[in-house]
Amino acid sequence: MPVTARRLVENSVAKVNEEVAVGEDLAFQRAWWRFERIVWAFFVIIIVLDLGGAFGRGPMAQAQVTSANHSLSVHYERIERAGTPSILSVKMDAGAIRDGQATLFVSDSLVSGLGARRIIPEPASTRIGDGGLSYTFPITEPPFSVRFELEPPGAGRFPVEIAAGPGAAAVTAVVWVVP
Amino acid sequence: MSTIVHAIVGYFVLLMTVRVLSRRPGGQLTLFEFVIIFLIGGVAIGATVGNDHSVTNCATAIMTIGLLHRVVAWVKERWPPMAAILDGTPLVLIRDGDWQTDVMRGMHIDPEDVMAAARGKQVKSIFDVKYAVLERNGTISIIKRDPSSA
Repeated sequence: MPVTARRLVENSVAKVNEEVAVGEDLAFQRAWWRFERIVWAFFVIIIVLDLGGAFGRGPMAQAQVTSANHSLSVHYERIERAGTPSILSVKMDAGAIRDGQATLFVSDSLVSGLGARRIIPEPASTRIGDGGLSYTFPITEPPFSVRFELEPPGAGRFPVEIAAGPGAAAVTAVVWVVP
Repeated sequence: MSTIVHAIVGYFVLLMTVRVLSRRPGGQLTLFEFVIIFLIGGVAIGATVGNDHSVTNCATAIMTIGLLHRVVAWVKERWPPMAAILDGTPLVLIRDGDWQTDVMRGMHIDPEDVMAAARGKQVKSIFDVKYAVLERNGTISIIKRDPSSA
């Protein structure tokens, strides 16, 4: 027959009025109530920041950059959430259009970091090189907008360069993706 | 990989939130508390498994949470202060016939909650209760007054 470890029963639990063994610790409980108040204040701060868009999907997250000659402007969310769809839109005016077509260059980070899934409208052609992708769109009338549907796969900081064609002055949109 | 990280983060966020909510989620469930439990559970599932609803992903998440729970239980057993932090300590609500109002207020417990527990012990009047103790699992223990001492 196996021998099991034995230990004498001890009455180590603190008693109330020397009568009932409860194990109450009011000093700990009062400290815990103070801690609870701090946690609730922290929760309120997080919720207020979230409503403001500090973690994406709100007014604080919206951003815009415009090129020096105002031919290209980018509307985007400076704070995005991983796995959550969003839109980055690029607006080009007459200065970015040549011979009835516009060329738009975006750096690789738009695809690898921010998970670009779809371009609206579909480009007529796509060229890979210079650390990114160059799309060509036929245009009949400026201004012209291109929308990128994004869904970032993971968290991080992703600077995206966007230019009206390779070699043109680029604007940089820095996007932070939160988990 | 991300599911495991999400499950670990979700477990501790949920543990903290439920711990600061109140003592009662497991003890005396009212409809009011059912709302919290269902809603938090639903939200946590979405963040944990994401868009991957495969059996592999769900099984990994369940195993991670199960293992985490076992580890936390082991730490609680080895280090008693952790048990107090995660489960709290029992609290006396009625001490020798007197309401402990600061404790009642701090734990958001009404006299009606204590009376409900007393009725469960066939105690007809609050005057027959000598001690009422809010236990760590959220239930309220009732110790009756000795009739001979009345």
